[in-house]
Amino acid sequence: MNRTGLPDWLSDALPERAAAPTEIAEAARHQVETIGLPGLRDEEWRWTNLRAIQRGRFHAPSGVGADVEPSTRLPLDNPLRLRFVDGAFQGVPDDLPEGVAITALADADEATRAAAFSPKPAPSVENPNDALVTLNTAMAREGVVVDVAANAIVERPIVIEWLDGATESTMSHPRVLIRLGESASATLIEHVETVGEKPAWRNSVIVSSIAANAALTHIALGLDGESRLSTTRTFAALERDARYHSHNVQLGGRMIRREYDVHVGGTGAHTDLIGLMMPHGKQLLDTHTRITHAAADTTSNEHYRTIADDAGRGVFKGRILIEQDAQRIEAYQSSNNLILSDDAEIDAKPELEIYADDVSCSHGATIGRLDQEALFYLRTRGIALDEARGLLIAGFAQEVIDELPIPALRDWLTTRVEQRLNDRSLPVDSDA
Amino acid sequence: MALLEIKNLHAEIDGSEILKGIDLTVNAGEVHAIMGPNGSGKSTLCHVLGGRDGYEVTQGTITFDGHDLLEMETEERAIAGMLLGFQHPVEIPGVKNIYLLKEALNAKREAQGLEEIDTFTFMKQVRELVASMDMDDAFLHRGVNAGFSGGEKKRNEILQMLLLEPKLALLDETDSGLDIDALKVVSDGINRMRGEARGIILVTHYQRLLNYVEPDMVHVLYKGKIIKSGDKTLAHRLEAEGYQEILQEAS
Repeated sequence: MNRTGLPDWLSDALPERAAAPTEIAEAARHQVETIGLPGLRDEEWRWTNLRAIQRGRFHAPSGVGADVEPSTRLPLDNPLRLRFVDGAFQGVPDDLPEGVAITALADADEATRAAAFSPKPAPSVENPNDALVTLNTAMAREGVVVDVAANAIVERPIVIEWLDGATESTMSHPRVLIRLGESASATLIEHVETVGEKPAWRNSVIVSSIAANAALTHIALGLDGESRLSTTRTFAALERDARYHSHNVQLGGRMIRREYDVHVGGTGAHTDLIGLMMPHGKQLLDTHTRITHAAADTTSNEHYRTIADDAGRGVFKGRILIEQDAQRIEAYQSSNNLILSDDAEIDAKPELEIYADDVSCSHGATIGRLDQEALFYLRTRGIALDEARGLLIAGFAQEVIDELPIPALRDWLTTRVEQRLNDRSLPVDSDA
Repeated sequence: MALLEIKNLHAEIDGSEILKGIDLTVNAGEVHAIMGPNGSGKSTLCHVLGGRDGYEVTQGTITFDGHDLLEMETEERAIAGMLLGFQHPVEIPGVKNIYLLKEALNAKREAQGLEEIDTFTFMKQVRELVASMDMDDAFLHRGVNAGFSGGEKKRNEILQMLLLEPKLALLDETDSGLDIDALKVVSDGINRMRGEARGIILVTHYQRLLNYVEPDMVHVLYKGKIIKSGDKTLAHRLEAEGYQEILQEAS
């Protein structure tokens, strides 16, 4: 029997000393022991269960990773690499561009750590029962702080490499804080890869604050690796005229749950949330987004696509909240989904909550199979049925890929998705 | 040997008979116009020739260039040289025009035992055709017909034909809804396709197209049958007298 709400192995792993300031860590520890992990009863977890984690008996790693390299080379121009192997930060690189300061979380001062672990990472985030973030606060020993100075335009992409699974059955709870000063601009890329074959679980949190007129582009690339389990949360707090552009591409992993909380809190601020998820095999790929328009004259644009194959499952839930005083808002959301096999499943749920009256808001969710009319059209051009299907599926993904801001990455991802689609075995007589 | 020979073709959709015994022979080098009022079966005939699912041929035969057409899949028909121009070309965002053109051309070349076309030759050829259709190169990198105007879609259909050089071009209401500038460009494209080795079938609702593309034969389709055939003067009579006169004459 559990002594607490947490599985015993997890409860036992709670550290004596965490990276969070003592008071915050202790409160988190107490709270998470009481509430435990989320279950299916929780509305936010209706479609995704954490059984694989509950039963996983993961342990926290101790000092690993010096020799672990990612197998994939992203086509990036002189990236600044921040490597985590099973959650262990591998150190600050030497050659930092001007205006960029990087600090290992363990070496950060108390105020910085308090900011990284603030129980209220964005003004609209009031979710004290969020077990996974709280667990991260209680557990985190490692992480990194990225500070971009005001007016700094950082051309080099800052790449966080999450290399998971180097040792068997490890779990990690890293925390990242990224702060952009006024009118700064930076690109953060999460390169997620599984380096081992045994299950590993990463429960990471990224807290970002984007000052007035600054722009953060945040690209998450979840690459192949079937054993990975991850639960991740991103907070973005936007001041006046700030921009947060998120691109979330999920191709691999066994169970991936990503959550975004974007607080559009200053007049003129804008956010884009763009996503592509391609669950196949027995993968579960899940994204939950929450955009809060808390200031007037703010805009958001959300576009997610899921292609589910085999017995893969895709989950998308997108919530847009427009507060009472936030007038003249434009918020658009679309979720388009393609199901390629009878065993695949996609759950898509838009949620709008609007308290202001001068708002232009739309949302739409579609779930379907390939367009028969388009298939016929391609075949009348001499393109064989299987190939025509492949073209349409790739084309469906391409529309989201085309929104990526880095051309070389766009081409690379196009090829990657094509390879994935070529590997699938299409039943000749299926309509899918 | 005729390029296309349709004999006593009956076809139905969802159990209701639309084509009720069509006979039509098209030889290489000829341009045939098939005219008829709404609901006469024009589009059904095009879909049956294209091999679209949902249309059941209950009687009759179609021979195309010596092949039993009804035994062939849609893509096999295209590769054998029959190309269908759509009344409503389908929008396929995400699949670039240039990609479709290349795939289609290479599918045909593969069937002919030829190697894939090299990119340089291909691009040169495509750019010339794009210019000849009064289109912009940028169109090549847009999604197939995605966000195109009606006129652009029809130009795109003709562009594909000019590149793929079919033995038989079957154009389903390619002229419908075109303004006069687009009609001239489209007609000019069709006229450039005319040749000794090629048959062209223009399925149309309006006589106007035939002022720009002069047919060798005109057929009137009514209630699933060709009720009258003649030379181009038949089209002029239709224009002047309307369908009613011709229908009475035929019955």
